[in-house]
Amino acid sequence: MADVLAEGYNVFDTQKSPEGTIKYLSSPADVISLIQSGKLAEHILLVRGGTTTFLAPALSMGAIGVITMSGAPESHLGILSREFQTPCVMTAHLTNSDSRYVVGNTDETHFEEIARELDGKRVRLDCTDNDTGRVVAA
Amino acid sequence: MDKPDYDVLNVLALKKMADAPTIAAVIAASPADVEKRLESLAGAGLVVVAGGSALPTNEAEPALAATAAEVYAPVRADPEVEALDGRFETTNTQFLTAMSSWQQVDVGGRKVTNDHGDAEYDEKVITRIERLVGRLEGLVAALAAHDARFSTYSTRFEAALAGIDSGDHDLVSSPMRDSVHTIWFEFHEDLLRTLGRERTE
Repeated sequence: MADVLAEGYNVFDTQKSPEGTIKYLSSPADVISLIQSGKLAEHILLVRGGTTTFLAPALSMGAIGVITMSGAPESHLGILSREFQTPCVMTAHLTNSDSRYVVGNTDETHFEEIARELDGKRVRLDCTDNDTGRVVAA
Repeated sequence: MDKPDYDVLNVLALKKMADAPTIAAVIAASPADVEKRLESLAGAGLVVVAGGSALPTNEAEPALAATAAEVYAPVRADPEVEALDGRFETTNTQFLTAMSSWQQVDVGGRKVTNDHGDAEYDEKVITRIERLVGRLEGLVAALAAHDARFSTYSTRFEAALAGIDSGDHDLVSSPMRDSVHTIWFEFHEDLLRTLGRERTE
């Protein structure tokens, strides 16, 4: 059984199972340099979600997969990921940690831990389940 | 920054990535003027141009927030705007739910992609979306009384809804078009910036 590193809401069911190195994007500048690097399609993009509306250009330029640490499948980003058919796991939490995202009451350390643990890892997204999206070690 | 620069950078920040003609169409300026302003904004480190499109830098949002605080102080003090804005969050939540039901249908408790084969279902969702867009009218008008540029949201919504009525259903949610979802999202971000509030979620 493959090693599930993190899981969260699956935004839409898809047989697409993108594989790539996780890249944590914390600002518009991160998105700009990723697009300019020409290596967008090599990465699964990790963002905080919710307020990270700066991800839109990456989606329209061909991002292959997205993981967020907050936000719901009904959010703007969820709607965009379905429109672009970009597999997306939202409000992901680490399977080896008890820390969970709670709306309006989440410590910075929660986001820092996920970014630290996942950034740079080679993974595959499994978005075949109706409810749960999984980040699997590749 | 001066107001014409604000208007250009604001639209770019709402669209996240755009070329001069796209921005010009929204603010009723000439593409050449927008081009010139983008160049000067790039010189100020607020914009970068990549592959023919401009993108806002990290410094764009704080600069816009600072200008909005000055320019829109009277809007923030307007009790009518405040009252209408108080009802926006509820409408917005209903709108996002309606958008999701346009994209996905519930089949036995399982969400599956809407294949748009059920015209009656689609019509119901479109009717709901039209009603929700209608609920923004008061707020758009109250904002437009302070700054006429807000009335372009009404014009854009009307155009998108007319297109949907004539069968162009991409205008419901396509991110590549000036769809109802695209316009709504931009309006929401614009509203937050105008009133100096953060996005909740």
